[in-house]
Amino acid sequence: MSILAQLSKRQLIVVTGKGGVGKTTIAAAIARLLAAAGRRVLLLEIDPRESLHQLLGTEPSGGGIVKAGSRMSVQNLQPRAVVNALVREKVPIGVLAKKIVSSPVFQHFADGAPGLKEMAVLGYALRTVEGDYKHKADVVVLDAPATGHGASMLAAPLLLSDLVGGGQIGDMARNLAEFIADPARCGVVLAALAEEMPVQELVELVALLRERMGRPPELVVVNGLYPEFPGGPAVRRSGGTAVHVSPGTSDDPPLRTAQLTARLTDHPSIIDLWRERRAVNDRELKRLREIWKGPRAEVPLQALERGPALLAAIEATLAEELA
Amino acid sequence: MSLGQLERKLLVVVGAGGSGKTTLAASLGLRSARAGAETLVMTFDPSLRLKDALGVGDSAKDRAVRVKSGTRARLDVILLDAQSTFDRLIERYAPTQAAAERIYTNRFYRELAGNLAGILEYMAVERLFEVASERSYDRIILDTPPTRQALDFLEAPDRIVNFLDSGAIKIALKPWWEAGGGIAGIPMRLAAKGVEGIADRLLGVRLLGDMLEFFRAFAPLYDGFRERAEQVRHLLRDPETLFVLVSGPGEDRIPDTMFFARKLKEGGHRVGPIVVNQVHPQVGRTGGPADGRFAAGLDLFEFLGRRDQQGIDRLRKLLSRGEPLVLVPLHARPPGDLEELEQLGEEVISQVR
Repeated sequence: MSILAQLSKRQLIVVTGKGGVGKTTIAAAIARLLAAAGRRVLLLEIDPRESLHQLLGTEPSGGGIVKAGSRMSVQNLQPRAVVNALVREKVPIGVLAKKIVSSPVFQHFADGAPGLKEMAVLGYALRTVEGDYKHKADVVVLDAPATGHGASMLAAPLLLSDLVGGGQIGDMARNLAEFIADPARCGVVLAALAEEMPVQELVELVALLRERMGRPPELVVVNGLYPEFPGGPAVRRSGGTAVHVSPGTSDDPPLRTAQLTARLTDHPSIIDLWRERRAVNDRELKRLREIWKGPRAEVPLQALERGPALLAAIEATLAEELA
Repeated sequence: MSLGQLERKLLVVVGAGGSGKTTLAASLGLRSARAGAETLVMTFDPSLRLKDALGVGDSAKDRAVRVKSGTRARLDVILLDAQSTFDRLIERYAPTQAAAERIYTNRFYRELAGNLAGILEYMAVERLFEVASERSYDRIILDTPPTRQALDFLEAPDRIVNFLDSGAIKIALKPWWEAGGGIAGIPMRLAAKGVEGIADRLLGVRLLGDMLEFFRAFAPLYDGFRERAEQVRHLLRDPETLFVLVSGPGEDRIPDTMFFARKLKEGGHRVGPIVVNQVHPQVGRTGGPADGRFAAGLDLFEFLGRRDQQGIDRLRKLLSRGEPLVLVPLHARPPGDLEELEQLGEEVISQVR
């Protein structure tokens, strides 16, 4: 079965990774692929500074659910709002619930209490796919916070269910911990750049998922790869500045080689940069392959501004990689 | 050999994850020691390459280690560790060893306090304060933990104090009916009762017991903790403290950078140069068809160079006149030894001198 077919069986897909690796774009592209495969998708963003709408070309969510194509909606979820809604649900007296939610005591507690907001978000996702809300979805794709926080988000239910004996939170935590740990229901997608620190964090996160949750990620997406350097040994620096392309060794038609040589000679530093940056990518891809033998997708850097066109390009690449 | 605008006692390097903050902090440290200032770089999680370049390993975890920098003044590095800083904090403020032990062994502390929102950020400033008050360095450079907006870092002291200060403790420690008094207090008391009832129903007795125990054990430490948070807030607003904001290039990073610069200023902090790091070089458009892998690759670099330049132009427009912008190009190789690291530092310093 293709990886995409596997992913489209899940109810929750959590996309996480180090900050700045293009997590949000990957999450959006996966959401679109799942919608194209016939699933009703809710794409959740937690960052209070919305950015998904730029990519999708929709209105900002402002906390509400916004339609983003057929079978797909997007929501900027404010964890605090979910916690508040939970209180309103559990406290039958409206005026009392309002008092609680608006009291600074409760607000500070909800802000600072470890694991609470993380649980609220995961709980919201679970309830969405279980049909508890008016808005139905088959699968929720969660653009989770960056690694450090993303990991604690995934670990929160297990931690809390260990810690909390009983009570509704304890039950909810156990429920959620089972949901997260069930590879048939929940998939974890890790995004990274093929650079030293992002790969390091990825290695740690894979270990953490295995040890603490007894499950591997479903997919690792390596984003932002510089293109392979086509000339290889045929292109070299001579005299420190000039660059030669040996005719016939590049993929370009011979006629154009002269033209290209002109371009390259103007920019020897670019050639150096290109080769070295790709060399970093290759080195880190190799390191990654040593610790992660599971499904992996590679997404190259795109010459596109952040927006729907970029998303479409990444979606197309992922579609190929995951087929 | 001055550090120009960076000639301050405390430099706080902030920015989004992946912007190259840690390497920049180390390179500035090296330049600072070269200029004759006894310098300490405090950092969280440097890459292996950077640790190798500095010649420090895990021995620097939570304690200062000398870098063999060959500079006149010394350069020390500390790798910060949130949990051990928290432990030490408790040891300092606990009235007795037994009180400290009670906290260490508390399940709530062990399992969850480390995940308390903002704890990593708070522990960074806490450790900073500790070192700053020892006054054994001329300059301290603090590399902050990577956060999406890096705002967590500034808000952490407030958030921790608010959390400890708030009802979570009071409700745990006092029966609800003691809160407030008279008729005016009724709604508050009702709310408090509601919170307690809800807490019990939602969290269950066991966790409440652990939390109660934690806060009870924490209570004697609390005044010291709070006072400390207040001092940390002052230190971050001291005239000798300067924030160095590091930004990735590219237009999509600008809103975050501007947002953070504004927040810093609103909070009464001094913002120094904004460092735009890892800027792709500009490649002139030479035209020509974009098929073929060479051509496509060059087109990509043309795009990246243009994208970064647009971001920089936009940042320039948004910044008020005279605010320095430091541009650091993307190098083919990240600095791999002390010499390359120092060159990077000089690239920054030469633009703010």
